[in-house]
Amino acid sequence: MTANGWAQVLLFLGAVLLVTKPIGLYLTRVFDRRRTWLDPIARPVERLLYRLTRVDETHEMRWTEYGAAMLLFSLVSLVVLYAILRLQARQPWGNPQALGALPPFLAFNTAVSFTTNTNWQAYGGESTVSHLTQMAGLAYHNFVSAAVGIALAVAFVRGIARRESQTIGNFWVDLTRAWLWVLLPLCLAGALVLVSQGVVQNLRPYDRALLVDPQTVTTTDGDGRKTTGMVTGQVIAQGPVASQEIIKELGTNGGGFFNANSAHPFENPTPLTNFLEMIAIFALAAGLVYMLGEMTGSRRHGWMVWAAMAFLFLAGVTTTYWAESRGNPLLTADQHSAAGAPGGNMEGKEVRFGIPGSVLFATVTTDASCGAVNAMHDSFTPLGGMVPLVNIMLGEVIFGGVGAGLYGMLVFVILAVFIAGLMVGRTPEYLGKKIEAYDVQMSMLAVLVFPLTVLLLTGISAVSPSFGTPAISNPGPHGLSQVLYAFVSGAGNNGSAFGGLGANTPWYNTAIGIAMLAGRFLFIIPMLAVAGNLAGKKRVPPSPGTFPVTTPLFAALLVSVILIVGALTFFPALSLGPILEHLMMGAGRSFGG
Amino acid sequence: MGNAMLDAIMLAATLLFFAAALAYVAGCDRLR
Repeated sequence: MTANGWAQVLLFLGAVLLVTKPIGLYLTRVFDRRRTWLDPIARPVERLLYRLTRVDETHEMRWTEYGAAMLLFSLVSLVVLYAILRLQARQPWGNPQALGALPPFLAFNTAVSFTTNTNWQAYGGESTVSHLTQMAGLAYHNFVSAAVGIALAVAFVRGIARRESQTIGNFWVDLTRAWLWVLLPLCLAGALVLVSQGVVQNLRPYDRALLVDPQTVTTTDGDGRKTTGMVTGQVIAQGPVASQEIIKELGTNGGGFFNANSAHPFENPTPLTNFLEMIAIFALAAGLVYMLGEMTGSRRHGWMVWAAMAFLFLAGVTTTYWAESRGNPLLTADQHSAAGAPGGNMEGKEVRFGIPGSVLFATVTTDASCGAVNAMHDSFTPLGGMVPLVNIMLGEVIFGGVGAGLYGMLVFVILAVFIAGLMVGRTPEYLGKKIEAYDVQMSMLAVLVFPLTVLLLTGISAVSPSFGTPAISNPGPHGLSQVLYAFVSGAGNNGSAFGGLGANTPWYNTAIGIAMLAGRFLFIIPMLAVAGNLAGKKRVPPSPGTFPVTTPLFAALLVSVILIVGALTFFPALSLGPILEHLMMGAGRSFGG
Repeated sequence: MGNAMLDAIMLAATLLFFAAALAYVAGCDRLR
């Protein structure tokens, strides 16, 4: 570990801290429907959209109507994307490489993936989807799935803030304002910054470069037949990358234009873009936490939630940084850093980002539900790779996905307050609202769906020699980690790939698709039920038995609840995967081939 | 199995999931 590396970590957290308040204040104004500097442009567009779609912007919805609108919108978006993917070969424009239709299982997986803000990619971007599909199918979903997340978080915060109200807002209005006031302007500015750094933005066919030094290459096809040939050129994929890259991070989507994702020099060319992309991943989530404090009238509570998130972020990045800098004890070569040599475990990492830029990115992308990657998580050391896995297992509430991070965290807040109430023997209260049996039942329904989905599907895959285990590329505990990571990433709507798992099969495409649907929607529904129930309650004044949610003690309790619920649920699975692999590595045993 | 059949199965499964999710909304509301 180097001073330069730590400086990058602290500079990053400082930058997130700096943007938290301005973004939070802006979000509060947008969703409280107060005047903003964008109104002269955005308001006429908004009015026109409501007129065209016959939306009554003054109509307030109960949580059930809000949830139903969200589900129907997601269903239609999903089916449209499925059709785009299946009909890709017939696109009249925007398919210069004449790429064919995606097969049904892959199209299903991809359509679910982008609808649920997961962006798990069982396909290779540049070799599978056309420019038109990238823009009209995938980038569209990057915007709207993020906007849905923001809308849901705002609805939850309204549920806490409102008193004796049956409603939590209007889904269509929140959705529209999220993309029109927040995502679109930020992405326009961000894409231009990325272009200035070398991220490409064009609609050209792919270039072909001749190799200065042609290579003889032997490849093996699916049936094991070997073919040897001379490679004289390289195809260099082009496309509208910058416009997709910025929403990929800002909307915590994570689906790369290229298969190599943010490790590709056209997506993430410089250390500066790496830094900015990481800030983009956390920016809106951090702002939403500030918005929580503003809307509920308790800024200190917002900051305490922020502090709990920051603590967990630092714990994760410290562990990964330590593990990757330490390197692999089974290698006899000198792995210390020196001038011109980064040291540690550099396998699967980009030289231009080094260990700090890679571990920071890996931590950030899994703290949030982003899933963009700039390094191969599969090549991390066992403990270094376990941190991204654990981050997703904790529910991606460490700043988290746009909106999803906040509403996920608020479910944990309800549980923390409930546990505190049990400890002092009083009815638990949260910001003046009594937390009752229904709130806790719904919170537990939300929390349980994730481990149930992950453990069931991982278990089936790990013991199925016909369709589960053949996709695993590593023997031993690392192989289990590959399968576990795939389902954790899917159900957690993260979308990052550990790598190494050949997941483009009918079973994995379908099972991960189901995991993504369950992880997204079966969490959201009980969460909205809590929001609706809270909105209808009276606000009671604080009493001596009230557990204050504005103190460091609350932040510490919140962290404890997240760790106990999240980490302990998965501890048995982790102990069979990365923990066992780490212990065996320490004992001098590896599982390679 | 042909692709058209698979398309129909995928679509039916998706509709079924969302119908179940809508029923889940109603169920959670009734629990209150």
